[in-house]
Amino acid sequence: MNNNYLIVAENIGYKINENKLFHNLSFDVAEGEALHICGDNGSGKSTLIRIILGITKQTKGNIKNNSSHGITYLGHKNAIKNYLTLEDNILLMELNDKEELNKYIEILNLRKYMDVIAANLSFGQQKKLALLRIFLNNSDLIILDEPFVGLDIETQDILSEFLNNQLKMNKSIIYTSHISCQIESKILKIN
Amino acid sequence: MKIIRLEFLKLKKKTRTWLGPVLVFWLMMIAYPLTVEFLQEKLEVGFFSVLWIAILISMMLATEDIFLEDFNDGTLEQIMIKTSSFSTLVSVKILTYWIFVGIPISILSFIFSFGTTEDLALSLMIFPLSIISSYIFLNLFVMGNALSLNKGSVLGALVTMPLALPVLIVLGKSIIAIQLSINYLGFIFLLLGCLSIIIVTVPLVVSYIIKAHLE
Amino acid sequence: MIKKFIHQFASPKTYLFQVNKFYNYIFFISVFIYISSITWGLLFTPEDFVQGNSFRIIYLHVPASFISQSLYAAMAVSSIVYLVWRVKLAAYLVIAIAPIGAMTTFIALISGSIWGIPTWGTWWQWDARITSTLILFIMYLGLISFHNSFSNYEKADKLLSWLVIVGAVNIPIIKKSVDWWSTLHQSASITLTNKPSIDPSMLYPLIGSIIGFFGLILCLVLLSSKNQILIREKTKSWIKDYV
Repeated sequence: MNNNYLIVAENIGYKINENKLFHNLSFDVAEGEALHICGDNGSGKSTLIRIILGITKQTKGNIKNNSSHGITYLGHKNAIKNYLTLEDNILLMELNDKEELNKYIEILNLRKYMDVIAANLSFGQQKKLALLRIFLNNSDLIILDEPFVGLDIETQDILSEFLNNQLKMNKSIIYTSHISCQIESKILKIN
Repeated sequence: MKIIRLEFLKLKKKTRTWLGPVLVFWLMMIAYPLTVEFLQEKLEVGFFSVLWIAILISMMLATEDIFLEDFNDGTLEQIMIKTSSFSTLVSVKILTYWIFVGIPISILSFIFSFGTTEDLALSLMIFPLSIISSYIFLNLFVMGNALSLNKGSVLGALVTMPLALPVLIVLGKSIIAIQLSINYLGFIFLLLGCLSIIIVTVPLVVSYIIKAHLE
Repeated sequence: MIKKFIHQFASPKTYLFQVNKFYNYIFFISVFIYISSITWGLLFTPEDFVQGNSFRIIYLHVPASFISQSLYAAMAVSSIVYLVWRVKLAAYLVIAIAPIGAMTTFIALISGSIWGIPTWGTWWQWDARITSTLILFIMYLGLISFHNSFSNYEKADKLLSWLVIVGAVNIPIIKKSVDWWSTLHQSASITLTNKPSIDPSMLYPLIGSIIGFFGLILCLVLLSSKNQILIREKTKSWIKDYV
């Protein structure tokens, strides 16, 4: 084991309109580790993710982000432009590795939809498109909010396998999920 | 440079967003003579007031959902994670909107003022005024729409319209200056001065405002 | 250092108890000052040479228009304090002042109109001061409706503070530009800016009325901010004890 922690959180809490969402959460994520955030609906999983990302500010406690290559994030909102074709959407994602990109377009079976407007794709297909961001990441921390929702079994497996490989490459992953998945991870329960 | 190309690509495909305001401007300029008795003199009296207000309204319409779409689909979050500042994005967005909406409207206002006054020199002087003022209005309404992001554009217009009033006064004065042929350049420089201050401050302020919205 | 100092002395709880302690004194002193100066002004000063008795409305109009702008300045200062030091009390003050600012501006406009009928023969004139006061009134209403449209109070506070600061920069610009605008259009009518200098027998009650009116508005601000604290901190345990 190494002691290279990417995320260290101490006693963080969050209040909205003076109502406590969660409080005194402490956790850390080291290189090559995965953290699975569990909790009921409305327990603040997504808010916690946003705090880790640095978008929302916690109302209490400290959180430290040591990642040097940035974060790749995929949440409920997948940053896909409805009025653009799949090809233009990929252009917007600014993915540089063309070879890898083509490989994953084939794997995810997206090739034949390249000229289709994103609004005409199904939810699952849009999600696959958004996943390209994850598959072609070059950061050391991957954060996913409910990544398996809306995916078919096949794609779920592809994603799990990919994430496991990333862990072996010493990258770290933080995710929330209702569906149990084959990723070896620490569990953080909030309620 | 790449961000400019991408914003261009996005706006180009949203025909409604840039063509709509230009057409509304056109219709407003057509609507004006219809409300006035058809006498050349009477047309000229209120023409420039209507022109400036029409530019103002079109800019308001143009910026209606300038951040809304990026906010709703999560693009803003992705940008925040990458760069943690929105000032570049805001400047680029305003620039693209100005190219797609501001410049066509300025050309139209030149054509309309020539058509109404039949005075080429005057209309040529109107063109730079509308080009600069449309850029200023865009900046102001972008700020308003950032403030009232996902609360509808009426609120944004309500809170930023007072900011545009001084610019309207300057525009009114410059018309008088043109007609009396005094100090036209002074007004152009005054507007350029305003623009240079606004162009720097608005993206910074808007960046903070958007961050507050994402929180 | 500064942050700690401010947080200690600006906790809503301390503020609320201080307000309760001093409120009655401020209220009765202001009522006394205001009533005595308007009695003096209304009953014991001579009629104005030009305007007759109608000028006596200045004891309402001048304090109101004076304070309507000071309230905006107060909001701007509170906004800066809130954005820089994250003092919640400052945010409560901003939203507590807004409706009162709108009210005083409204009083200034209405009393000005009433005064205008006998003096100018018209209840409205596109004069620089009136126009900028009207814009100020609309800005106040805009701020209120803006704040009301958010369900997340903290977000609303932050955005409102930005808006107030932008507006504060703009108010002098509006005033200057409107002044400039009216210099060319204004024909020779009586304007507020050109009024003859005031006689001491009118001046002293006027100053008294400004101070008294200011005290009364301050009382309203205190009450309204107290109200804000009670609404916003209702989940805190000390509020439950207090109520």
